[in-house]
Amino acid sequence: MHCFPAHMISADISFSYNDEKEIFSSFSLSVACGEHILLIAPPESGKTTLARIVTGSVPKYRSGKLEGAVSVSGVDLLSFDIPERMKLVGRVSQNTDEMLLFSSVEEEIAFPLGNLGLGREEIEKRIETSLSLFGMEHYRKVSTSELSGGEKRRLMLSILFAVDPDIYILDEAFDELSPFWREKLARIIKKIGRTVIVLGSHMLAEYDGVFSRILTIGNGKAMPYVHHPVTFLALTLKTGHSTLSVENLLIERSHRSAGDLKAFELSVESFSLRAGECVTLLGDNGSGKSSFSRVLAGLLKEKSGSIMLDGIPLSQKERRKKVALLMQNPFEELFLPTVIDELESTGATQDAIEDTLRLFALKRDAYVQELSYGKAKMLQAAIFYLLDRSFAIFDEMDSALTSSEFTKAAKAFLDKGTALLVITHDKEVASSLPGRKLMIKGGEMHEYK
Amino acid sequence: MNISSYIYGTSFYHKLDVRPKLIFTALFSLMSFIVSSYAGIAIVFVLPIVLMLFAVGLGETWRCYSRIIPLFLIMLLFTPLQERDGTPILFAFGTVLATSEGLENVLRIISRLGGVSGILMLLLLTERNENIIKGFRFFHFPYNAALAASMILRFIPYLGYLFGEIRDSMSLRLEEGKRGYPVLPSITALIIAAVKMVPDTASALEERGFGRVKVQPVHMKKPKGYFIQCAVCIIIPLSLFFVR
Amino acid sequence: MAENRTALRISLIVIMTAIVAVFTYGFGILRLPSPVGGYISLCDAAVTFVAYAFGPFTGFIAGGLGAAFADLIGGFPQWAVISFIVHGVEALLMGLVIRKDSTSLMLKIIAALIAVVIVSGGYLVLTTLFGLTVFQEALLEVPGNIAQSGVGAVIGLVLYSAVKKGFRNLDDIRW
Repeated sequence: MHCFPAHMISADISFSYNDEKEIFSSFSLSVACGEHILLIAPPESGKTTLARIVTGSVPKYRSGKLEGAVSVSGVDLLSFDIPERMKLVGRVSQNTDEMLLFSSVEEEIAFPLGNLGLGREEIEKRIETSLSLFGMEHYRKVSTSELSGGEKRRLMLSILFAVDPDIYILDEAFDELSPFWREKLARIIKKIGRTVIVLGSHMLAEYDGVFSRILTIGNGKAMPYVHHPVTFLALTLKTGHSTLSVENLLIERSHRSAGDLKAFELSVESFSLRAGECVTLLGDNGSGKSSFSRVLAGLLKEKSGSIMLDGIPLSQKERRKKVALLMQNPFEELFLPTVIDELESTGATQDAIEDTLRLFALKRDAYVQELSYGKAKMLQAAIFYLLDRSFAIFDEMDSALTSSEFTKAAKAFLDKGTALLVITHDKEVASSLPGRKLMIKGGEMHEYK
Repeated sequence: MNISSYIYGTSFYHKLDVRPKLIFTALFSLMSFIVSSYAGIAIVFVLPIVLMLFAVGLGETWRCYSRIIPLFLIMLLFTPLQERDGTPILFAFGTVLATSEGLENVLRIISRLGGVSGILMLLLLTERNENIIKGFRFFHFPYNAALAASMILRFIPYLGYLFGEIRDSMSLRLEEGKRGYPVLPSITALIIAAVKMVPDTASALEERGFGRVKVQPVHMKKPKGYFIQCAVCIIIPLSLFFVR
Repeated sequence: MAENRTALRISLIVIMTAIVAVFTYGFGILRLPSPVGGYISLCDAAVTFVAYAFGPFTGFIAGGLGAAFADLIGGFPQWAVISFIVHGVEALLMGLVIRKDSTSLMLKIIAALIAVVIVSGGYLVLTTLFGLTVFQEALLEVPGNIAQSGVGAVIGLVLYSAVKKGFRNLDDIRW
């Protein structure tokens, strides 16, 4: 182990964003060198804020009132200048898009390494090792905008491992990763001799045996986490009439920036979704789950094949009015000033809006751009709940939400008789959901048992 | 939205190192402003076309030039070609339609526009954006400016993509029977999303260690024949001087 | 300790440049080619917004660079330098005239007039001066430029208040 026993990180802070209630009040946490801890807390409890305070971006770039300090071996982290601080602490952020700076994978990873002042050979070596650690070695010349959600996450992880600071902070870093990569990441963390702090909103099977302590945030303080076995709400299915079906669908997308490298080709011989039904879709990162859902919702054009409603083919435009798509990144679907503006844009009645606000636990006047990632997902669900589409797709909706929030949202849709297609990487979520399971593997869709 | 004009290829212009290519582009653009002889005008106009044909083929060359051809036509149509005291070269119904000086004047401007456009488009077609920026850095372009340029090349397509997403999600919410999307709310949403990115991007820069006092110099390998490439790229445009 | 603001400044310039470029380029979707070369765009709306929201200096760099980048990637690299000067100066002057706290309609009208004069006059004079076109052709572009910059400036001013409503921390971000 490379650091001294005294090299521990400790936080003693109180924090609140401007004129809002305190997020941390005398929050105190210390993590020993090489210790791996897990912090599980619901959305809006301040996990991301904590990560940002540790790396110094709050309150510098999001003003708020901070008392106390985060220190490493007794020295205030903020007293280090920026390139020094990078050697001590680094994070993978929950919203990967906000950390992307350049147009190619290679530039993205070379930038921090150059700032470390490393020599060219060392930079080259680190790029190669850490990209291949997360299976990204063939993506060097690929444009970052062509990566799928999970691939972006793996790129962020590669960057953190290439920089290799003393303290790793992984903010929901297991999300958007497929089971394969989740297991791999857990194995990697287990072996690494660095301090690792993982932030999450719910328990994952992969966390088993990786951490020495599991904590949560309650009343603005850190406290031991007590695991309650997840009790998923009993979801009941209704039967409906209309059916969305797919025949001989072929979807193709390629990494144009890298010339020859083919991203994927997905062929779906047949697929159907009946009103009131719940279908779960699993598959590796970049296998085409999101593209499939975009085709169903009419946001992406299929290469060939047909999509039908009760046997009548639907045009791309028509599909948009039938199928609700809750995209992976909620902020890509939210664009009005406040929560109430968003909900009113659906044209629903005031009564319906009031009910929905209660059902999804949303604050009427909250500013959309200030919502946490998890809350934004709930708002996204609320909007489509009001829109009353007969089919809905949850694209990795369960990430960033607690299990109870997720099932609450799923129940709301199913109780209405909406057909649900749930895309997830979480086996526990998949097994808790009723209905059929499908899997995309090797460019084809199969029944999954 | 794909903003890179780069087209993969193995032509000699592709293989030319980016530094001599930048020198060539700059000198050629400058020289196109001083030529005025018919020979010079012809070379300025034709050379980029020939190079482009070799580098990216007929289709792509046509695609590039078709954008500026309307301009050429308008210039020819609307410019009085009969300069006073000029040598008349075209008569109709007893009046002078064109003089050689008038024609020369228009042709000079057309060839300059075509030449400068062509040589710049050629650069963008045969060199990756990040390489061009690296080349600039080699010529002591300030580090922060080069950094900003690389980032701009990420954010332009990203914001374009984001606008597409906003527009699409707007259309997902429309009631049945309605078409299109409200433009003003969509572009407002785009700007809000962009402004929100400013502090996030600043902290991303700092968390990646931006702010090192001493920036490492750019390192670019010199390919075989680098000095010959440089010499050729300087001599060819300068030799236009002899036919000016 | 003096706070180091370089990272924030770079981010602000980069993202506003990208906004101007995307508006100019027409979101990659909304492009209306003009009959006399170039294209009709919402460039001036974005330039006005940036000048109004972030002041003359940010406006000058982001407005100029954004327009230049849009030319470079949109297939008109020959106009990049001219666009930089025209839209940079446009934003600079507008930013000097209108302040964020001013609600004076008069100043807003003056700012819009500045946009119209600088854009239409700037392209006319500079394209001819650089010898990249003939005066007669440049003159043909003037009416289009007047309409585009006038409408753009008005949209830009409306955009500022719309954005302010949805993002209350807008004024916290400054050079």
